[in-house]
Amino acid sequence: MSSLFDRLFSGGRSASGTGSKEDAKSRLKILLVHDQVDLTPNQMNAMKAEILEVIARYCEVDREHVDVRLEKADNGISVVSSVPVRRVTTRAVEAT
Amino acid sequence: MSECIVVTSGKGGVGKTTTTANLGVALALLGKKVVVVDADIGLRNLDVILGLENRIVYDLVHVIEGECRLRQALIKDKRVDTLFLLPAAQTRDKNAVSPEAMRTLVAQLKADFDYVIIDCPAGIEQGFKNAIAGADRAIIVVTPEVSSIRDADRIIGLVEAAELPEPQLIVNRFRAKMVKRGDMMNKDDILEILAIPLIGMVPDHEDVIVSANRGMPAVFDEKSIVGEAYRRIARRVNGEKDIPFVALEEPDTFWSVMKRWIGLAPSKEVAQ
Repeated sequence: MSSLFDRLFSGGRSASGTGSKEDAKSRLKILLVHDQVDLTPNQMNAMKAEILEVIARYCEVDREHVDVRLEKADNGISVVSSVPVRRVTTRAVEAT
Repeated sequence: MSECIVVTSGKGGVGKTTTTANLGVALALLGKKVVVVDADIGLRNLDVILGLENRIVYDLVHVIEGECRLRQALIKDKRVDTLFLLPAAQTRDKNAVSPEAMRTLVAQLKADFDYVIIDCPAGIEQGFKNAIAGADRAIIVVTPEVSSIRDADRIIGLVEAAELPEPQLIVNRFRAKMVKRGDMMNKDDILEILAIPLIGMVPDHEDVIVSANRGMPAVFDEKSIVGEAYRRIARRVNGEKDIPFVALEEPDTFWSVMKRWIGLAPSKEVAQ
């Protein structure tokens, strides 16, 4: 009954709404950066792997939660990476 | 001081020609001397939207190739006597025109008119390059969709590369109802992504189709909300400040009025 009531008084749309605009926005943000940079998904993956390789020489990396992406910054485009580290290896500590 | 404005978008079908026609009429109704130029060589449509298709004798390519004088190709709109159309050629292609030829043509037109408004073809190729060659500034039309905004972003880059000033944005086919339920990007979402100044919001409305059927731009209809949106855009183009946008209010439906009447909904709010 309440759903019929809602439908009658809201022109057929659901009360909560589907909110697909957030999908549009997040897809656009990624799209626009990649349109400018022209890196293929393969190249992105290769870059990510190489970045990880370097970091892994010094730290024990939580590979499940690595995030490397391109983002629009105020003055161009940035590579933003978040690489969680389980622990810094002894070798790295010695090197400093 | 006269000015040449190119109306562009990248993506096709977002309302460039409708925008050019309505903006041209609205500026002419403000008393400005206006020429609208169809730069979509081979696919002319501005004549049809303006209802002037039966009066074409010469076109832009004839002028550029010296087959007629500029004055002979200009079609005077009988409904508002400061508006003229320079039609595109229908049987030629974009290679019949060059950026240099367009620059010369625009310079000639600017000597006689307050505003030269160019309807740019879709795409980023030769036709686009021709259309922006003589322009002093660009207006970019987008619809609130991923594909349209993506193409607009590319066009903004090309406009800046052509050393035109920062372009201005018209958001077309805006649906307040969809925005309200979160299924359409609102003006702030779009501005956050494209980061150029907004000069107009045009609601998605049947008037656009009816006016295209008749060859009578919505701006001529004083009661049309689309016409009102374009009249306000024209005033902004002409330098007026602080004119509110029309497209942000949700149109009343029978139920929304009833709901408000029996106290189930707050009084009418601005949806964005």
